[in-house]
Amino acid sequence: MASSSLRPHDATDDVPKTPIPHSLIPFLQLQSQNTLTRLYQLPSSCLSIYRLLAPLERQLVMSLLWLESAIPASMMAAWVVHEGKQLYDDALGTLSRLHILPNLAVKLALNSTFKTSFRQAITGSGTSGSFGVPAELDEKRPPLGVEGLDGYALERWETILHYMVSSGTGQNPTKPSTGVLYLLQTSGLMVSHRGAPLQITSAGFQFLLHSPHDQLWDLLLQYLHLAEQRQMDLVEVLSFLFMLSTMQLGREYSAEHLGVSQKAMLEDLRDYGLIWQRKPSSRRFSPTRLSTTLTSSSPPLPTTTGTSSGPQEGFIVLETNYRIYAYTDNPLQTAVLNLFVSLKYRFPNLVVGSITRDSVKKALNNGISAEQGGRTVIISYLVSHAHPQMRKNNPLLPVTVQDQIRLWELERNRLKSAEGYLYTSFTSQADYELVLNYAKELGVVLWESQAKRCFFGSLEGHANIRGFIERRTTGGVS
Amino acid sequence: MDDSKGCHLSVVIDLSPTQWHLSADAPPANVYPLPLNIFLAQLLAFLNAHIASKHENTLAVFGAFPGKSMMLYSSTDPATQDQAIDANSYLPFKLVDSTIITRIMEELDELGEPAEEVPNSLVSALTKALCYINRVTLPTPSPSSKPGDGHDLSILPDPRILVLSVSPDLSTSYIPIMNAIFSAQKLKVTIDICQVYGPDSVFLQQAAHLTGGSYIFLERRDALLQYLIMSFLSPPSIRKVLSVPTQDRIDFRAACFCHKNIVDIGFYSVNPFPSVQLVGKTKFPMKTLQRLNAARPMLSAASWAPSRSASSTPQARPAATPAPGLISATNGANAALLGGLPHSATIGSGTPRTATTNGYRA
Repeated sequence: MASSSLRPHDATDDVPKTPIPHSLIPFLQLQSQNTLTRLYQLPSSCLSIYRLLAPLERQLVMSLLWLESAIPASMMAAWVVHEGKQLYDDALGTLSRLHILPNLAVKLALNSTFKTSFRQAITGSGTSGSFGVPAELDEKRPPLGVEGLDGYALERWETILHYMVSSGTGQNPTKPSTGVLYLLQTSGLMVSHRGAPLQITSAGFQFLLHSPHDQLWDLLLQYLHLAEQRQMDLVEVLSFLFMLSTMQLGREYSAEHLGVSQKAMLEDLRDYGLIWQRKPSSRRFSPTRLSTTLTSSSPPLPTTTGTSSGPQEGFIVLETNYRIYAYTDNPLQTAVLNLFVSLKYRFPNLVVGSITRDSVKKALNNGISAEQGGRTVIISYLVSHAHPQMRKNNPLLPVTVQDQIRLWELERNRLKSAEGYLYTSFTSQADYELVLNYAKELGVVLWESQAKRCFFGSLEGHANIRGFIERRTTGGVS
Repeated sequence: MDDSKGCHLSVVIDLSPTQWHLSADAPPANVYPLPLNIFLAQLLAFLNAHIASKHENTLAVFGAFPGKSMMLYSSTDPATQDQAIDANSYLPFKLVDSTIITRIMEELDELGEPAEEVPNSLVSALTKALCYINRVTLPTPSPSSKPGDGHDLSILPDPRILVLSVSPDLSTSYIPIMNAIFSAQKLKVTIDICQVYGPDSVFLQQAAHLTGGSYIFLERRDALLQYLIMSFLSPPSIRKVLSVPTQDRIDFRAACFCHKNIVDIGFYSVNPFPSVQLVGKTKFPMKTLQRLNAARPMLSAASWAPSRSASSTPQARPAATPAPGLISATNGANAALLGGLPHSATIGSGTPRTATTNGYRA
């Protein structure tokens, strides 16, 4: 019945929309031109930033990259089809705020630093060494293999998430390092009340349901903010992250050419599971899959490689009767499911539960509510973790369950509060209507009742309405 | 605009030594000479740009040499990992560049200097590219076989083929090219064409047009890279916003099936004896045809069936043709019509009804 109105994004839209930019892009746009220009001196940074851009922005950068002189803006605009005008303007705006494409008005030309470095990246020339200096092969201590790195990254990452999800449940999971705890606290994902153990916040609950890639960038963005406070060189920090993202999994790199801030980062990134080092004092490091997939959007994160816990990617079966079967023995996934499912049975490889009004309300009360791209976080979590068998269904999730979850969410929003004034005790119907019409013209009426002869106006309209009534009454007397 | 999965690009390079030699000739032979090494340098920059655009983008490169074709590079193959890391370059780029260049050099050396160059096998390379796309786009039966390669990664959205051609049309390749086009349409593959050297290619124009791709005749050959990037880098989803040049005039001419000439007007019909005329390459006796034409309106479809098998040798008269006595003088017009069209592909008429209208009322 309500399904069509409830799903605004299902309708295919012919007019192309500007995609949601990567979460790092707004952060970069806030940086000064000087910072960005220093960042653009490194080919690896240019390549990574280029990959984070939206498809149209990437095409524009490429189209301009090999031109020696600026081209008139009108000439570029002539390539754009009529429906894409908005998208094109947005893309130019983003590039200009990133200082990749300055002075848009008349002529288009790439920032010369960016152009030089990015050309070097594509052609593999230059001497910047920004793609990581490989370590000499050590016969006695061979580098850790890809499987070992995956296991390490997975263990580190799940420790963090598991700590978050089980805080306040009385369990005592392994504690991540203090650096991680500090980051979780400053980012507002967890909070400590007067020395009590850390408690997860509503933002933290929200965080748990995001995809691993988003979680990683959420944390790294917090890390970047923290780096600014810690007086670290932001360019060094960013360029190190970008360098990691262009490195080769399973190889060892030398830490000797790194800057001061970058050497300090090694410890932090080791705690997050982004890099591996044999021992803290080691002069070499290996990037894990977490870091080499930083700039790809559908990354094979460590969870998908499956160390022990069976099929990791896609384990949830949801039925029309609200029952949910999760083929997992991973305590973290079970704990995350427990956020919005009332779990019934537990078997060695299977967890059975059902989505109920209470369980969804509990999740919503915990703060898992914000919509993202027209989908509630719960639904997008279920979609992204659906079992391969479920993927044969179209639509993927049963419509009844999807709608019901949305309706339960809407239930919470039945009351809307607004500050204002109630106008009542009008002497005559004519007076009432006169004032009401005036208020309606101003567009400040929030609620009205003809029978009770009163209406409720918003705060900002009050001065005008009062003045109007006063003028009427004095006018009527004189 | 969902491009989260990356897209696939197969590039088919025409590596005919003769044509590249001609292409490198200094002016006045060429206004903008383009030797092979400069072409390859610019092409590699383009390939790197494709890989740079998205971590998940995949690439395959096919080479068409005289008389043989092969895959030069594919990003799904486990690449040789012993490549030394260079701090100044992104390893995947380096891998692509060195693999392609080494393979091309090997193949060109192997060619030696034959006395007579065999025709270039562009179609064979194109077909290999299609087969490759078919293989990688089919979902693998066991997704667990390759760790890290999720099940939805195996389905490539918007696969494309870019053909970089330097050779003129080879009329014998008309039928294979058309077959390749049909397979491409079925696989929903876009074929882009860049005619780097030589005259406009009739068949490749049609390939681009029929698969929704873009055909570009390279005029400023010194600006190859810019052409490639502006026209062929963007996946179809971007082309909806940033238009790419398409042809305003397409040469739709076909090649005659029997003489392999490119013709303006061709006649085609369902031939009752396909085994005789097309495969056997023998002349169909005109008299028999006349007789058949005359007899046809009176025949039912069922009575044709035995004649098909009986006519496997050219001499075998269609013994089952039931009414030989029906040859009439009016068939003269029909015969004249047939004789006057040397390039009509296969002569005859589709159905009995059209036979009467075509032949007798002429």
